[in-house]
Order: sequence, then structure tokens, then C-alpha cells
Amino acid sequence: MHPHGAGFPKISLPGVKYVVAVASGKGGVGKSTVAANLALALQMHGGKVGLMDADIYGPSVPRMFGLSVMGGLPKDAFPLERYGVKLLSMGFFVNPEQAVIWRGPMVHGTLTQFLRDFDWGPLDYLLLDLPPGTGDAQLTLSQTAPLSGALIVTTPQEVSLTVARRGLEMFRQVRVPVLGIVENMSYFIGDDGKRYELFGHGGGKKLAAEAGVPFLGDIPIDPRVAECGDQGDPIVHKYPDSAVAQAYLALATTVVQELHRAGPEPELPGLKL
Amino acid sequence: MAASGSGSLWPVALSKEGDDRLVIAWSDGHRSVYTWKHLRENCPCASCREERAQPPDPFRILKPSELVPRPPLAPVAVAPVGRYGYKITWNDGHDTGIYTLENLRELCQCPQCRPSSS
Repeated sequence: MHPHGAGFPKISLPGVKYVVAVASGKGGVGKSTVAANLALALQMHGGKVGLMDADIYGPSVPRMFGLSVMGGLPKDAFPLERYGVKLLSMGFFVNPEQAVIWRGPMVHGTLTQFLRDFDWGPLDYLLLDLPPGTGDAQLTLSQTAPLSGALIVTTPQEVSLTVARRGLEMFRQVRVPVLGIVENMSYFIGDDGKRYELFGHGGGKKLAAEAGVPFLGDIPIDPRVAECGDQGDPIVHKYPDSAVAQAYLALATTVVQELHRAGPEPELPGLKL
Repeated sequence: MAASGSGSLWPVALSKEGDDRLVIAWSDGHRSVYTWKHLRENCPCASCREERAQPPDPFRILKPSELVPRPPLAPVAVAPVGRYGYKITWNDGHDTGIYTLENLRELCQCPQCRPSSS
């Protein structure tokens, strides 16, 4: 299938060095958790970081950062800053009990506004937390955002890998470089210090090898990850010495290396008529 | 290395040849030539593809716009879409077709690709 869409001109973000999409394919693999913790890990490495929640229907950035709907604030108060990371989410504008029931063009318009009409300021990294799938949000951002690359988050089991393959194929078709694969919920470290691979072994690495993209790292599973997310204080910030936080800090280093290695992406030549 | 689109087929430059042709110089040295008419007739948008898939209707009623004299077909704008294609806005008002790079390469009308076409 050929991707289609409205084809709006590319948005220029001159103050942002790298724009990175965090995507998956399948929902529930911890994409938003990875995006939030990676944003904090990049910030702890000394980078200026922004996180844009591109999940219009199911925003989770506010909850993960202990924020909620921000009625009454002027537009220039956004993006909001929390733990040193600049944040923007549909969840700041719509009550949690209210459903966003929109067709694609509305999603397209809002994502374009999020990127274009808010002052992201000087940033080293702007992460885009994508919704699952290969639909409107992904197409809009491939067409209009100056993407440096995409990270694909998966869990080790085949059911997640199968859908992640579709995500990879989408980025290949729209020519957004895939920086690599991140395997989330990779293993559990028991009280006995042993490593238990709850959902199987090596799925993420296999997928990376298959697709010819780097394997960027694996993140262990820890009940505190969910607890921290629900409490609005991501684990990298709350327990920076935990194994999970250390895995995120290592992931951030690898992501930065990949971004530097990949260099700037060329833009298509235009035609004056 | 990151899986980038830049390593594969890539247009180096787009230009016009006369009033009726588009030329694309590709990264592999190939030079594609297209008439605008050929591109319009092969518009990849969903409604044009569906129209082409239908058998011709002998009793088709002409649209009012087809009854008045029209200027020769010409593009109004050719704009990149992301890093994967071009959107052409035509002087007949149609603008929903996004021609992917693969699509453009397949449609090439140069003597090498389409020996029978002019």
C-alpha cells in the first residue's frame, strides 16, 4: 500500500537539533514509559529535552509526569516543564473523563499545531511519543515533522514483534531512518539476583538483525516502573540507581551515538514552476 | 548504520523540459522523463485509482467542467512530501495524489524504460 495523506509542507524547527519518534506498532509495549524515561535519561546526560505526546486519543504524558488538565493557562505557558523536560500533550487540554472522538484530519491538524504553534525553544532532543499503529498520526509526522529518526519499541514475544515489523515497514516506506530497536520488559531480576526472561529471549535482537537496524538495548521489567509512572515520577528520575534507570541511561548514550552517526537526513529537492 | 532512505533510490534534481515534461535526475544516474499528462493519468490518489479500476462506462454523463473549454493540463505546484514523495497540484484543481519515489521511478517514460512510448 502506498501511504497517502494531505501532504502539508514540512515544519521547520530550527531550534531543535534532533527530532526522534518513539513508535511501536503494537500497543501496550510500554512506548510512553520508554519515551518518558528516555527523555529524562537524555536530560540527565546534559541534553535539553522535549517530549511531545502524539497520542491524541490516549495521552499518557500528563499522568506519567504528575500533571493533569491545565485549564486557564495561556497558550504561551506551553510546553510545560517538569523535571527539566518540556512537555506537550492533548491531556493538558482535555479532561481525563472526556473522550477525544476525532477523525484523521483533526488529528493531523492538532499534531501540526503542536509542532508549529508552540515555542519548543532551543532543544537538543525532541521525542515524539507516537500512538500505536501505522495510521494518521504516524503519516502526519512522517510528512510534516523534520524527523531525524525513529525508535521502535517492542517486547520480546512474537505477538509484539509481528506488529513491530509493520511499524518498521511503514518507516521504510516513508523513508524515515530507523535508529534501532528497544526491547522493553525484557527480563526480571529476582530477589535471588537471577535474570528471568518472562516473555522469551532475544526477540528484539532477532527483529533488529532481520531488519538490518541496530539493537539499541533492553530494559528490564520492574514493578516500580508502573508504580512510578502512575505516581507521576518516572523511575529514571525517582530511582536513578535502579537497574531499570541504568538501562535507560545506557540506552540514551546509544541513541545519542546513533543520531550522531546517522548525521542529518537529506531533504528532497523541490521544483519551481 | 541506521536504516535510512538516503541509501536507496533518491532524486538529485527536478526540472521542467518545455511546458509539457518533468525531468528527474536520480542518484543512480538515471534520467526520468514524464509528460504531465502521463503523470495526471496515473495519479495515485484513492479516487483516481478507483476510477481507473472501473470498466469504462459508455453512458457516462459528462461533468459541467468537461463541457467548457479548459486550459491545457499543467501543474500548479510540485512539493516534496516528507522524504518519500511529491504532491502535485494540478490546474484542474486536483491535488490529492502523492507520488512516492518508487511510484515515480515506475512511471518513467524515458526510451530505456518505455521503448514504445514517445
